Amino acid sequence: MARITSLGIVGRLAVVLVASVITQGILALKLRVFGYFDLPLICSVYYGFVLGNPIASIVIGSSVGLMQDSLSGAALGSNGFSKTLIGFVAASAGAKFNVDQAITRVFALFLFSIGDGLLVSILGLMAGRGSATNSSDVGNWLLSATFNTLLGLALFGYHDRWSDATT
Amino acid sequence: MSRIIATSKRSGYIALAIALVIQTGLISIQASRRIDTSFVRAWILDSLAPMEKLVDRSFLGVAYVWDNYFVLIGLHKENDQLKAQLNDLRMKYDRQEEDLAEDQRLRGMLSMRDTITGRTVVARVVGRDPTRSNATVTIDKGLSHGVKPDSAVMTADGIVGRVIHSSNFFSIVQLIIDAQSAVGVMERSTRKQAILRGNGGHDLDLEYTDDDTDMKEGDVFVTSGLDRIYPKGLPVGAIGSVRPRKGAALFNTIVVRPSGDIGRLEEVICIVDPPETVDVFDPTRPTAP
Repeated sequence: MARITSLGIVGRLAVVLVASVITQGILALKLRVFGYFDLPLICSVYYGFVLGNPIASIVIGSSVGLMQDSLSGAALGSNGFSKTLIGFVAASAGAKFNVDQAITRVFALFLFSIGDGLLVSILGLMAGRGSATNSSDVGNWLLSATFNTLLGLALFGYHDRWSDATT
Repeated sequence: MSRIIATSKRSGYIALAIALVIQTGLISIQASRRIDTSFVRAWILDSLAPMEKLVDRSFLGVAYVWDNYFVLIGLHKENDQLKAQLNDLRMKYDRQEEDLAEDQRLRGMLSMRDTITGRTVVARVVGRDPTRSNATVTIDKGLSHGVKPDSAVMTADGIVGRVIHSSNFFSIVQLIIDAQSAVGVMERSTRKQAILRGNGGHDLDLEYTDDDTDMKEGDVFVTSGLDRIYPKGLPVGAIGSVRPRKGAALFNTIVVRPSGDIGRLEEVICIVDPPETVDVFDPTRPTAP
């Protein structure tokens, strides 16, 4: 019985992760501003915080990153590497800090977004698929980090309320 | 208890190391091109892109129902049969308008197809790059339709990019505005050759031209065919702005606006069997007896 329950949880998690990658691709196509958001990153951070389990967060980060790489022209592994690291750090931070506070979430989401942009650019350069970073890239990272922070806060808050209501 | 925590911590670090080594290995294999990793991408693409296509179609369906029904529910309360009929007519009219717009787009594409010798395939754009690092889109045609890496992709207005990855039923198209993209072009009237490179924004930068002194806003560039990806003579874009060179710079800064509306791609044409328009010496090709 416990096995079926855990399979259900894993299945639900897989659906959420696939949905986040696909939704990101579709919304970026329909609404240009959505190109600044990174739903898979928000998912990686969120599950890192909530699960507090580094191994699960690594698996989540790796798979979501590889899916992103496959649907984009990025070097296979660049987003995977970045999201893996972010998932692990988020899980470790979740065990050490109080991640239920809005200020912690703001800091974490903003820093993780910047870190993700930086890592993916560096790894893209290493794989010979990137271009030298310029001031507009930095501007885009900051904008993206701001959008991700705002969306992440809203989604985390929504999920908190939903969890409270169901428990 | 502290031993259990230490063990779980250690296994976390080991898992992290393994995951990072695998990802780094993937990146370095691609960088060195020692092993073909395209099957990994093709496999994931073939698994995810159908769902993306399904969601895209659902979006269109929902948008259609929303535009043509739900938005009008408020009016229906007061409406008699006549208004319902009017509503029905409006729905039909909207649908016909949409059909007409699509018809015009496809006619444009067909007329463009007629001008291109070689085999072409019309594909639908089903997704955009889920990261911001690359300007790419996903199309619903792949190897089974003849679309393969380096197939040129265009609209009725001009070229929009080239295929960089293909799975059986889907492909990833690198748009010409991507910072990694470069297109061999020539100015339509003077035939001066140059390279147009994506600047990561919405425009292209003109590079590697012999002489840019008489280039001005509005000058049109077409493909030169020398890059062996895009057939010769297809429209690429027109000069949007010319900034005079400063200091030690050799050339003016010339920004070219793509002729295709790259921000609103819906259907595209893939050139799957390009014509041999340019005779370029290729030492790897066997010579005719």
